[in-house]
Amino acid sequence: MSKALSRRDVLVQGTVYGGSLWVLLNTPHPLTARAAQASSKPEVLSAAQWKTIEAITGRVIPTDHEPGALEANCVNFIDKALANEDAAAKPLYDAGVIGIDAVAKARFEKAFVALDAKQQDEVLTALESGEAEGWPHAEVPSQLFFETARAHTIMGFLADPKYGGNRDYAGWKVTGYPGGGHHLGGYSPDQMMAKDKIKTAWGEEA
Amino acid sequence: MGKREEFDVCVIGTGAGGGVMIQELTAAGFRVVALQRGPFLKPADFHDDELRTMIRDEVFSSDQVETYRYDENSPTETGRFNYMANCVGGTMTHWAAWSWRFRPDEFKVLSTEGPVAGASLADWPVSYDEMEPYYERAEWEFGVSGDAAANPSGAPRKKGYPNAPHPGRVASDRIGKALRKLGHYPFPTPVAINSKPHGGRPECAYGGSCLGYGCPIGAKATTLSVCIPKALATGKLDLRANTTAREVTLNDRGQARSVLYLDGDGKEHEVFARHVVVSGNAVGTPHLLQMSASGRFPNGLGNSSGLVGHNLTLHHIAAVSFTIDELSRASSGLHSHVAFDDFHASDSKRGFIRGGVVAETNSAVNQPLMYALTTHMGCGERNWGSDFKKYLRRFPRSVGLAAVLEDLPMDVNRIDLDPQVKDGHGLPAPRITHRQHPNDFAMNRWFTKKMMDVADASGAIEKWDAEFYSLPNERSAMKGFMHFHGTCRMGDDPSKSVVDRWCRSHDVKNLWMVDGSVFPTSGGYNPTLTILANAYRVADHFVREAKRQNV
Repeated sequence: MSKALSRRDVLVQGTVYGGSLWVLLNTPHPLTARAAQASSKPEVLSAAQWKTIEAITGRVIPTDHEPGALEANCVNFIDKALANEDAAAKPLYDAGVIGIDAVAKARFEKAFVALDAKQQDEVLTALESGEAEGWPHAEVPSQLFFETARAHTIMGFLADPKYGGNRDYAGWKVTGYPGGGHHLGGYSPDQMMAKDKIKTAWGEEA
Repeated sequence: MGKREEFDVCVIGTGAGGGVMIQELTAAGFRVVALQRGPFLKPADFHDDELRTMIRDEVFSSDQVETYRYDENSPTETGRFNYMANCVGGTMTHWAAWSWRFRPDEFKVLSTEGPVAGASLADWPVSYDEMEPYYERAEWEFGVSGDAAANPSGAPRKKGYPNAPHPGRVASDRIGKALRKLGHYPFPTPVAINSKPHGGRPECAYGGSCLGYGCPIGAKATTLSVCIPKALATGKLDLRANTTAREVTLNDRGQARSVLYLDGDGKEHEVFARHVVVSGNAVGTPHLLQMSASGRFPNGLGNSSGLVGHNLTLHHIAAVSFTIDELSRASSGLHSHVAFDDFHASDSKRGFIRGGVVAETNSAVNQPLMYALTTHMGCGERNWGSDFKKYLRRFPRSVGLAAVLEDLPMDVNRIDLDPQVKDGHGLPAPRITHRQHPNDFAMNRWFTKKMMDVADASGAIEKWDAEFYSLPNERSAMKGFMHFHGTCRMGDDPSKSVVDRWCRSHDVKNLWMVDGSVFPTSGGYNPTLTILANAYRVADHFVREAKRQNV
């Protein structure tokens, strides 16, 4: 199993790239939700970039008997975030999409989207490790791209659907999260003891 | 600028320390001006939006810049390490509201333990007996709920809690039963959250999202919901939100004269006051004193001891998560419903000194994004792919335990001005230099093992060391930096402390520091009730002495 990046690693490497992941993921501009509500068409990603990033998200949270990142439309979340709050990460994604295809070609002689799931996981594991043969960017660590895409995919899966991901509450359904408790009007003592069901944000009972 | 206006008191910071001072001083008729970084938020600004609140940090702290290094020889990182809220009400605004009294021995750690190598233990100049009436006052002002008779290891008390305990949830019920089976004494976690209407605020709706969030209905007591409204109602408070204090100036007699501050546009203003109360807590208070260095105090205002910024303590927080075979309902209710305190007493036979309290939590966080991004790491599983999806599915059956552990103060752990990094106003960022004492790690390991045993007794299916405080990518999840104390310690000896027993600077007689920075040692409990109680004690003294013309 590959070792997860330490926060220190991410910061140090982020600084090498010219701005830490930490800072860019905390940039405060409440714009994504507005953009996501306005459009589910690509705002900043090209059609090819969209497909590659969509494929990455599909391996971070794969589809099984329940929906994964593809069904939750996590790539749309990322596109809207890159168009707004996380615009500083757009160059990282530009470099990352070129890089992941270069690694895929070095290993399997195909673009990343043309690989099967097992091959895609191998490429992502190589990126995660920082030892990806064929990675073309000396100044952009592959781990930084992987970790950013991983974190963004999870956000797209589990953030409020208004941000453009978590389509049809797919992420909350898989995770068994009913929605914000205050938004749902709070819980009764019997609901807290699971003697009564609770109403979910999508109108079912759980 | 119009004609010069002089206030009785300028309070810098409106959190637990400053908020109480503002409440008490305005009630006594003093004219107070309060400065606070960040906005004056209303309940409508608080909501369940996890991405906005916890990840993107758009509600609190948006202009915070700090640096961190392990020691003098380590590289410096820039980021946000101090889990605070920059808004009226301060960090209390997003607290989980756990409300403990320190035990009597926690005010006398040096006398209790004797000197310890590598640590700078000290006694508080005040005793539990002196604090007791002020704890009671704080509990009643803030509507703490609890069962006064249920914790045999807790501090002695004269009066019960103003609010009855809250109902439990599946998770706390499981843990409570397991603890009883193990021979422990579980009790309802005391929280400053209404179980019935109290103080003009409503009862809790059990919607979750206490830690890290503002309460949208005001059932959670904060200085924003308790102290500031009272102070504003007196007409004696001039509240200046969105301001950043940058220097306390002195007059030619060496007394505090004014405070220079920047407004939201970066424009500088000066406000004059007969007394200055600095309540920026353990980072903000020494930071302002250091920025206020002058010819008279070249190493920082009020720093003849050389101790301003030193002896920073952060607590060590151990956390274990596990799953049970039914819905835990941990997303509902409070951050914690049940606790036990039987491991609190110091016992060197355990391989460390000091101790702490253990409480059930909603698996560290009650919403899924923080769960997914932080809690996972100790599982030993991959944080993406099909294993990760299995981890996500555990969420509704997950339960948490956390221990708040007293860390030992060390002189080398400190706040100073970063020589390079500046904030958005061009002010030097506070630099945190911090590492843990070996005692802290030994205590953390022991408590983690004990919490694993409680998990087993609770019927754990999967269990893991949540490592909540040492993970990448989460602002709240960094190296235990949730509770900040020390850096302007309180003491009787001016060569060994920054403020006296009344939290008044030894060097500058009209300068007061009222917050967690004055804690000589950190205690094995969340600090806020002690900050509140201490502030009521100091305010009482201030008002009494002012009437005698002694301040």
